[in-house]
Amino acid sequence: MKVNIKTKINNKVYELSVSPNQTLLHFLREELGLTGTKCGCEIGECGACTVLLNGKAVNSCLVLVPQIHNKEVLTVEGLAEGDVLHPLQKAFIDYGAVHCGFCTPGLLMTSKELLDENSEPDEVEIRTAIAGNLCRCTGYIQIVEAIKGASKELRKS
Amino acid sequence: MKPFEYKFSEKLDEILDILSKFGPEAKILAGGTDLLIELRRKPAKFPKAIVDISYVKELDGIYENDNHIILKPLSTHTQIYKSNVLRRKAYLLSEAASQIGSLQIRNRGTVGGNIMNAAACADTVPPLIALNAEITLQSINDARILPLNDFFIKPYKTKANPDEVLTEIKFSALPENAKSVFIKLGRRNALSISRLSVAAVLQQDDSGKILDARLVPGAALPTWRRVTEAEEILIGEKPSMELFRAAGAKVSEVMISYTGRRWSTEYKEPVISALVRRALEKCVMT
Repeated sequence: MKVNIKTKINNKVYELSVSPNQTLLHFLREELGLTGTKCGCEIGECGACTVLLNGKAVNSCLVLVPQIHNKEVLTVEGLAEGDVLHPLQKAFIDYGAVHCGFCTPGLLMTSKELLDENSEPDEVEIRTAIAGNLCRCTGYIQIVEAIKGASKELRKS
Repeated sequence: MKPFEYKFSEKLDEILDILSKFGPEAKILAGGTDLLIELRRKPAKFPKAIVDISYVKELDGIYENDNHIILKPLSTHTQIYKSNVLRRKAYLLSEAASQIGSLQIRNRGTVGGNIMNAAACADTVPPLIALNAEITLQSINDARILPLNDFFIKPYKTKANPDEVLTEIKFSALPENAKSVFIKLGRRNALSISRLSVAAVLQQDDSGKILDARLVPGAALPTWRRVTEAEEILIGEKPSMELFRAAGAKVSEVMISYTGRRWSTEYKEPVISALVRRALEKCVMT
């Protein structure tokens, strides 16, 4: 039995009839074709599927799709404004924080929540925030530096 | 995921009505951090209905009423550790919430879910038992209040009926001069599941004598409880290394009286005892 939901994804309003027995992750990738959000462990451990739900970082593999009803979802596809990259995206490129790239969308989304709430996080705050995003290339130093760089950039603007 | 009926409402009455119809064939969904993992594991008894309570506003929030704290079950771990009221009046609970899972899990996981799922490693439960919390369970026809320490039967099994919803968690604020801590030992730092933990409250009088002591180990006993045997050692005494060591040894002795000596005892016995000592020291030093 389908469920009717109203939601906003990457600033676009959707009124949809969805099968409830699927995760937000599956729905984004398979039904909307938003494959920027990655499917990793599917048990909320790796953070590759992180999106923002009402501004909060969540594992989209642990959200049932009807639970986005009347809420706003932001995925990595909604981070840039047109052709202009978000300062976090630019910093990840500039600091060499993208290795194989699989963890990058999730890390960008988690970092977005962090910088939205705390414009000048210190090293410990950054590392605590991204503890739920695993990078198997283990390039955490560049990632932390990139987040620091983006926070500086954002404070300037 | 197998198909199921998805039911949701913003009204508690309607939720209770739905639950009364489905009984044990329904599962309650709040933050989903445990339930979704369980659903994908293809459990033998797959629920017929998922009842989403996350839109019921009256089940969300943290309130202070006289000297009581009312914690609504949909409060997330993030809400708990960011709450100034809890930081001041139930520090050990904020400390426990801040160490759960990851940012993503804390943003989604709720205290009600932590209690109702009743995993042995549930980190908010030892602090809540140390706070002598009471819970309200509501069904369509009835509401009952239970002390939290009387709610658990064994890991993943509670006294809640399938048609009941946890609607409130209530406890007294800690006295201003009481110190409290939550210490957890995981296998790693990030995203760790508690191997062992200790929630402790310590209150001293002006002369330094211990007036009140509460000790609740986590993931150590078959169900959580205050280890009064160890608390009694502390009451009326002045803090010392020796005293804290004795309390730690007592907690470990009580643990073994339940579990017997098994493969993990060689590890757990000295560790729980050291965690208790460390928790008490932290109470005195902060």
